[in-house]
Amino acid sequence: MLSARFCWRRASRSLQSTVRHNGTTPILLGALNAAISRYDTSSEALKTIAIKDNIVTKDLPTTAASGILAGYTSPFDATVVKLLRHNGYSIISKTNLDEFGMGSHTKHSAAGPTLNPYSRGGVRLSPGGSSGGSAVEVAAGQSWAALGTDTGGSVRLPAAYTGTVGFKPSYGLLSRWGVIQYANSLDTVGILAKTVRDVRNIFSDLNKYDEQDPTSLPPSIRNRISTNPHHRSSTLRVGIPTEYNITELHPLVRSAYTRTLQHLQSAGHKIAPISLPTTKEALSTYYVLAPAEASSNLAKYDGVRYGQRTRDPDSLPKENLPLYAKTRGEGFGEEVRRRILLGAYTLSSESMDNYFIQAQKVRRLVQRDFDSVFALRNPLLDDHVDRYARDGQGVDVIVTPTAPTLPVTVEEVKQQSSIESYMNDVFTVPASLAGLPAISVPIRLVDEEAADLEETDVRSVGVQILGQFGDDENVLNVARLIEEQQGR
Amino acid sequence: MNSSKLRTAPLHLSRALHSSVPTSSRVPRACIVSKWLSSRNFTAAPPLAQESIPLRKHLKDEAKRKKAEAKNNGVVKEGKGDPRLDNWELTVGVEIHAELNTACKLFSNAPTEGSDGVANSRVAPFDAALPGTQPQFQVATLLPALRAAIALDCEVQRKSGWDRKHYFHWDQPNGYQITQYYEPFAKNGTVSLLASDGVPATDLNGADSINIGIKQIQMEQDTAKTTHHPPSTYHVDLNRAGHPLIEVITLPHIHSPQTAAAVVRKIQSVLRGVDACVTGMELGGLRADVNVSVRERGTEGTGSSYSGVSGLGQRTEIKNLSSFKAVEDAIIAERDRQIAVLEAGGVIEGETRGWTLGAKETTRLRGKEGEVDYRYMPDADLPPLVIGSDLVDHVRSTMPELPDETVGRVQKQYGLTVKDAKTIVDLDEGDRLEFMEETAELVTHGLGDQSLDQLKIGKLVGNWILHELGGLLSSNEISWNNMPITPTELADILINLQNKQITGRVAKQLLNGLLEISTSPRPSVDRLIDDGNLRLRPLSEEGYEALATQIMDESPDMVAAVREKGQKGKVMWFVGQMVRRGEEGTVEPEKARQVLERLLGS
Repeated sequence: MLSARFCWRRASRSLQSTVRHNGTTPILLGALNAAISRYDTSSEALKTIAIKDNIVTKDLPTTAASGILAGYTSPFDATVVKLLRHNGYSIISKTNLDEFGMGSHTKHSAAGPTLNPYSRGGVRLSPGGSSGGSAVEVAAGQSWAALGTDTGGSVRLPAAYTGTVGFKPSYGLLSRWGVIQYANSLDTVGILAKTVRDVRNIFSDLNKYDEQDPTSLPPSIRNRISTNPHHRSSTLRVGIPTEYNITELHPLVRSAYTRTLQHLQSAGHKIAPISLPTTKEALSTYYVLAPAEASSNLAKYDGVRYGQRTRDPDSLPKENLPLYAKTRGEGFGEEVRRRILLGAYTLSSESMDNYFIQAQKVRRLVQRDFDSVFALRNPLLDDHVDRYARDGQGVDVIVTPTAPTLPVTVEEVKQQSSIESYMNDVFTVPASLAGLPAISVPIRLVDEEAADLEETDVRSVGVQILGQFGDDENVLNVARLIEEQQGR
Repeated sequence: MNSSKLRTAPLHLSRALHSSVPTSSRVPRACIVSKWLSSRNFTAAPPLAQESIPLRKHLKDEAKRKKAEAKNNGVVKEGKGDPRLDNWELTVGVEIHAELNTACKLFSNAPTEGSDGVANSRVAPFDAALPGTQPQFQVATLLPALRAAIALDCEVQRKSGWDRKHYFHWDQPNGYQITQYYEPFAKNGTVSLLASDGVPATDLNGADSINIGIKQIQMEQDTAKTTHHPPSTYHVDLNRAGHPLIEVITLPHIHSPQTAAAVVRKIQSVLRGVDACVTGMELGGLRADVNVSVRERGTEGTGSSYSGVSGLGQRTEIKNLSSFKAVEDAIIAERDRQIAVLEAGGVIEGETRGWTLGAKETTRLRGKEGEVDYRYMPDADLPPLVIGSDLVDHVRSTMPELPDETVGRVQKQYGLTVKDAKTIVDLDEGDRLEFMEETAELVTHGLGDQSLDQLKIGKLVGNWILHELGGLLSSNEISWNNMPITPTELADILINLQNKQITGRVAKQLLNGLLEISTSPRPSVDRLIDDGNLRLRPLSEEGYEALATQIMDESPDMVAAVREKGQKGKVMWFVGQMVRRGEEGTVEPEKARQVLERLLGS
């Protein structure tokens, strides 16, 4: 923890300059706390990349914003980092996050909260989370692009809240070797940048099979994906899930969303209402599965081999606890402890059947929902199982809002219960459960929509595009299309 | 960077652990640690004493002990010794953990051997559970596992899966063990035992053999090794962490402590025989847990069930037994304890118990309430393990001979008794058998046309290797591995003996002599015979008669005993005298006997 703060102080000293953002707002970057550590040499390279601090690098510490990994430096680079270096990108900083990726506001961090460059009524907005640091680095122009990780929306939500593009590829396309696990059946490396084109370029450099990651899609399936038969015409069928039209939808979000759909329609694309009935169960399913996996993945942090150790004999003979109960109690933050306990409970023998097993079943239903609406068949399913795709009736992509509301201010975040915080993920979680490609693209609010917003507010809304598993190219194409409609 | 705060993940943890960390801060209070260690059967000191007991000696001691027991019991057989056993029936299921014989770990390419045992030298990033690492299943580890499954007659499952079994301990870097408990790769096997495997007659019920069902075999990771450096330092060596193990779980089909020990011994010998495992129980390569319950004969016990067998009494589990004797003794103690509790009107609690060698009773480690909830969950990083039938067929067709098959073949091919065949197969991990087969072939070849039949040669060679050579080795305290005699040398001796070039006495002397010759190159056997002037120079008929007459004249009493009292056995005394008195290598006992019998007129 100490060293993370130290890195930050040192890093921020070189950043005390103010930069002008959006042409109008002077922003003291240091106050944003987006980076945990930074390279000393200021890079002149055009393609600078910030890396979320739960992706290991061997030349800067990797802490996952956790006290338990304070000062930890990995002896190896993550595969995605290796690929970036190999392709000539310049890695400039390690960015702040919610500890181990657990949070939606980048506030549960041993390095302190990250603030959005945008503010409302003089109070900073939440940058979203957990990849808030990466999103803010891009939004504030500190880096050309950034890597984040997306487990339930952790790249898409910050993108929506900071007006950037955030892409979560299909599960298994980008290597997770060197990505610190939170919920490993959901964790995906994601990409944040200002434009879809930049995201696409980075994606194609990282989209490689990695034998070190046992969940990396093998060449055989990659090949099946690229030859997946799709008879697409120039007009798209765009699915609009009725279940996403919830009453909590903020009027500005609704208005920007409908405007996007109208644009698509007027360009000749077909808008098709679809039903994803399991959507309502998806959020609770996620909050059973992700903590369960987290409780397992975080069992390794004991201070014995690396990281922070509470220097105190802390075993309790009466309780029969191992010698690092105190280390874990002090090393982890509140939200991580909450989720570990939650996960340990749902995996315990008396509640396993009611929670973990049920949630796995619901996860299958969520996947089945998506398979039943997409025109393209799921390349992970064998032909004979593929009984849902309907000829000519399926949709090519699904378009939804990324988040139900505009970002709240950090003051409002403090008032929220953790359950209310979890609500931010309601639209992003289903794609995570199904492993689908999903991207959040900012839709700038038009003047009449933004009339009541201050100049310092974010003034854009994230719209999310989802595609069938492996149909990442198409998702990026549609994202580009929507971006173009705004004259960019 | 603040370098003093920066701790790069130490792959070589020994350094980190040896460093001058104030012991008071790193090490927990001794009581809890020793409790933890003893509950997991850790040795508080490097287990040198145990490691040095060779298997051969152990088997011999076991056999001796068995013999002594049988003598003490006399006619009274186990089961009738304690009258309580007429009312109570014991049921046992065994779980055996054995280290697979593989070059790399289960989920990393770190080697399982080498670097001279330097602590933490064979550790891949995943083995130390470094952040961001993932398991990579090493396909090669499957081969010995499949050999084990086939040798134990299991059905190899096309699809099996990996679960995480969670518990906190410093010997478990990830905080969980990856295992196949719920979806094992092999199921429904059998191990077959004969009386000669140590099954008491009461268990055989008149049959030649009994079959014990095997519920499943699963692959899983081994833990790190902890050593205690008194007073309060513990070292963790991750070299063993992640080493592939198999766990063999038998059905509760076992009804005596002797049979339980026999099952463990038999499974060990099968695993070793097919090269699935190399390290035996005595070297810590094999550990057993036993489930013990008793029920009143003819009843359904408490109606408890496990592994699909019902109508049993409440069972307890005794963990971490590391010798055959421990298995047998722990079961006897636990059986007697349970009977005593039940006869006093008590109830058996489902609990985990421990056993230390030489103890009279098992001790309670933890009860149901203290049971660890392992929170099993599928490992989402590992795809299911799919094993094609072609691979299984290939392994089956290239399997080495099973120990029982080898014993049968040795009996048939070399005319050895079951006992000798079994001994030679079991000894020295098959080296002794190999030595015998090579020697027998050389002898057959060397005798050429006047060859004896295979059975006679086999018997001769087997006898010399087991008894003459075996006797020499044990009286000189030489281990088989350090035995300098080659099959060629023994074959040369036996060929000379068979061709009546030397006497049996000389053959034994040569064998003894060869043990002591350390020069290199060693002189050939023929050279030794010539140099020692040991070749048989048969006496003439007259020579035999003269020698015999001389001895008869010196011992009229003995002559009288044969001639008048008809004590024919005394003839052999004269033979002995002739061999001793005659010049070395001149008197053949058989010829001497003929001459003596004629002269003595018997």
